[in-house]
Amino acid sequence: MILFLWVVSLFGFIPTPQDTVILSEVEVYAPALDRFAQGQKVISWSKKDLMDFEGRALADLLQEQSPVFVRQYGAGMLASPSFRGTSAGHTALFWNGLPINSPSLGQSDLSILPMAAIDQLSLQFGNAGALFGNEAIGGSVHLLTVPEFGKEFHASIGQQFGSFGKYNTHLKASYSTDDLSLSTKVYREFSKNNFPYMDLGQISTPLVKEDHAAFEQKGIVQDLAWNFDSNHQLKAAFWFNQADREIQPVMGSNTQDMQSDQSLRAALDYFRFGNHSVLNLKIGMVKDELLFNESLSKTGQFFVGGDWDQVISDHWTIKGGLRFTQVQADLSTYSTSDQRIESYQSAKFKASDRLAFSLNLRELIYQDQWAPFTPSLGMDWVVIQNEKQELLLKSSVGKGFKVPTLNDRFWEPGGNPNLLPEESTSGEIGFAHQFLGEINWSNSITYYRMSVDNWIIWLPQGSVWTPDNIRNVSNQGIEYEGAVKGKLGAWDWKLIWSYSWNRAVSTKGIGESDPAIGKQLPYTPQHQANGQFNFGNNAFRAFLGSFFVGERSVTADNPRLMPSYQLFNGGVSFNRIQWGKLSFPVSFQVNNIFNKNYQVLYLRAMPGRSFQFNLSINL
Amino acid sequence: MKLKLNQLLGAFLLSFILFSCSNSDSEQPRGAYEQGILIMNEGNFGTNDGEVYHLDPATQTLKSNVFEAENLRPFAGLLEDMVPAGENLYLVANTGKVEIVDAGTFKSTGAVSGGLDQPRSLEVVGSKLFISDYGPYNASYATPDSYVAVVDGLNGGVVSKKIEVSNKPEDLFAYGKYIFVAGSEEGKVEIIDADKEEVIKVLEVDGHPAQFFESDGRVWLFSTGNDEVYFQSFHMDNFTKATTNALPVANATGRIAFGNDNIFYVVTSTGWPDYIDGVSRVSVLGPELDLDWMSGSGFYGIGYDKSRDELYVANSNGFQGNGTITVYDKEGAEIRSFETGRGPSGFLFY
Repeated sequence: MILFLWVVSLFGFIPTPQDTVILSEVEVYAPALDRFAQGQKVISWSKKDLMDFEGRALADLLQEQSPVFVRQYGAGMLASPSFRGTSAGHTALFWNGLPINSPSLGQSDLSILPMAAIDQLSLQFGNAGALFGNEAIGGSVHLLTVPEFGKEFHASIGQQFGSFGKYNTHLKASYSTDDLSLSTKVYREFSKNNFPYMDLGQISTPLVKEDHAAFEQKGIVQDLAWNFDSNHQLKAAFWFNQADREIQPVMGSNTQDMQSDQSLRAALDYFRFGNHSVLNLKIGMVKDELLFNESLSKTGQFFVGGDWDQVISDHWTIKGGLRFTQVQADLSTYSTSDQRIESYQSAKFKASDRLAFSLNLRELIYQDQWAPFTPSLGMDWVVIQNEKQELLLKSSVGKGFKVPTLNDRFWEPGGNPNLLPEESTSGEIGFAHQFLGEINWSNSITYYRMSVDNWIIWLPQGSVWTPDNIRNVSNQGIEYEGAVKGKLGAWDWKLIWSYSWNRAVSTKGIGESDPAIGKQLPYTPQHQANGQFNFGNNAFRAFLGSFFVGERSVTADNPRLMPSYQLFNGGVSFNRIQWGKLSFPVSFQVNNIFNKNYQVLYLRAMPGRSFQFNLSINL
Repeated sequence: MKLKLNQLLGAFLLSFILFSCSNSDSEQPRGAYEQGILIMNEGNFGTNDGEVYHLDPATQTLKSNVFEAENLRPFAGLLEDMVPAGENLYLVANTGKVEIVDAGTFKSTGAVSGGLDQPRSLEVVGSKLFISDYGPYNASYATPDSYVAVVDGLNGGVVSKKIEVSNKPEDLFAYGKYIFVAGSEEGKVEIIDADKEEVIKVLEVDGHPAQFFESDGRVWLFSTGNDEVYFQSFHMDNFTKATTNALPVANATGRIAFGNDNIFYVVTSTGWPDYIDGVSRVSVLGPELDLDWMSGSGFYGIGYDKSRDELYVANSNGFQGNGTITVYDKEGAEIRSFETGRGPSGFLFY
């Protein structure tokens, strides 16, 4: 099957230039994220890696295991990613290749992206406007469902009980032959979220129970893949998620806000595998409804696109595509629509087995305006490769952009239709080194620089707030990751750790005397670190993890700093309880083991120690 | 800052009217925070980082975050008003609480933390606190259930009664056992009998009532319209309107500072999208009328140091961080400027 020649890349901790991995027969095709991403940093988590985060949200995983800082407005509340010191709106989010950021808000809430709904996760760092389009400034997040072929019938039910009234139920069922794959996931996650905290907003700071942060989230994910002959594949995915939340008030306030989010996402892909080529036609839909108290915001995005990927020779591979997006928005204060059309081209030149370059381009038009042209250029060079070690040098330069959100442009009153797109330029260089052998030891380090211009900020003009292209920001930083893994008899163990330093300062602000100039952006820690130790055999596993978030300021001029914090999590699992064909994996996990009192954002209470017990039945 | 004069009814004391009530106890040594200038920084919506700064105008010594420094916990609220009364200073947070501190030391002495929604101002009569409150927002962000809350006890406690008033009550003014309520949305002044805890009279007034003050032996109300501001005085024997002076000050924000010689400074703002802020210099009794006395952007609070004849104009700097205060002499020449807390909205001059 020609399918075999094609790639799915499940990058390891250190991505190597691996566009020649053969697709295993059971996997459904997905265009490789890093096929033209030479020189860019990508981290991925497989289905197995994600197991430790069952019943938790994407926000938790990013905060605990990546250099991304997650701004959390309380437990289970709005959580937005900050890649390399950029804002929440500078991260593009994709689900099965569809951009799912809200077009009105220009960002996503990581708390309502439950891990239960996805099978695989990748993060890409730095400007990637050319590869991923709008909003890929700080980086991008790629969520995938990965249906499989030839696995017959499988089903599982998972039940989780945890502190603060956590009660989650997950059902999964899948059936597949060699040519047809069906998979269904249904979940409901609920938490009273009535954690105790010290209320700094009350006289004598009593210990109280949070009484307005309950949430319930439920959804269904349906995947279908069909090889209707040896070189055609159809893949459909559907995801409905509904989250109802009491909005946790900031300490000192007694607001009783309610929020309900409904999202419907659907993608249909057609692949035709030709002679060294893949044609992909894609249609998709993302509909969001956000009800805040009684104010309803509805948006819809409809996508039609296609691209062609062709291996021309041993040296050259090219790709080109087009995408049309229709955006509809019906909010409490305005209704509008927006049309976007974008074309993108990629070329990869493999000078040798060890050296590859890529060039990517993208042009996007929204309504009658051109977004900034975004080229990128990257290189992967395997400097050393032998039985004992491997050294990879990666380097790239690129541009990114963000079209002003619909709220930025059309909110009544205050929206500013004359806003310019935000625009950024970045460059990075990184080394990834690996000692191979019984003990596998790897280290990678990346240095980046980035500037973001025309950064949009909302400022008050009397009682009306209005956005403008105010700030220029200059970022630079270092991201370091290390890992050691080895075996001890039947036991395997793994230790991974990372540290990131990130300096993101305003170079232009509100007028020349803006005290923010030269200072670190608000809620952007300069230092972050995390580490996990993991060991087990084929029945038992245990992990201990910790993450550290450094000081961060509340405002752009930095007079008030939030203290740093470090949290520890740990857990054990056992998967050898069996009865006939049924297996009963169990696991137990403790979060915030040392009951650390901390806030991510000023006066937003966060929970102390919590326990979670997972019980599953697998068929 | 709003004028609070309830304990200064003796007529001759009016010659040194200012914001303070403790002036009358000149025997007692005054605490560190009962001298100089308190700067009220409202804080940012959603961050609850309101705070009080203290300035010694003689030495220019500025002390930041006084509440947190003295109480080892954040203020945790949006600071809407500061009201000195007796030994206490009442810090009204429109996020639903009143923190009560000793005016001299700023040490916490109590709080009203339950039963309030969006409190705006406070007045003390006898042993009762009266707190104007917008009430909760309804679905369309209107406030049809505004009230004045009653709390029995100078050091706070629970709300014992809510007296219904017109929408969006702002400033309160105590006169004997009566409390005047500035009903800002509907153009009303309600008069509450503090003993009966009920509204005994409702006056229709011009404009949107913003603030009461006492001048030239009379009680006045400052209220704003689109193209005019109004200064209305009252007969205090039968609670009727006495005089109304309308001045052609457009786009007044409701923030006003009272200078010497009956000169007032009114903050104006055209708002979005033209957006020009300004200060008009007017007099209710004299001929002074300089509509464009000052212009700029980001003007927020305003105050007048009568003892030094200096005008304090606060700039919110777009709430992106700390605000700035610029000090002018009475002719409008800039003397100095300095950084203060977030959203500086008012002053208390001792």
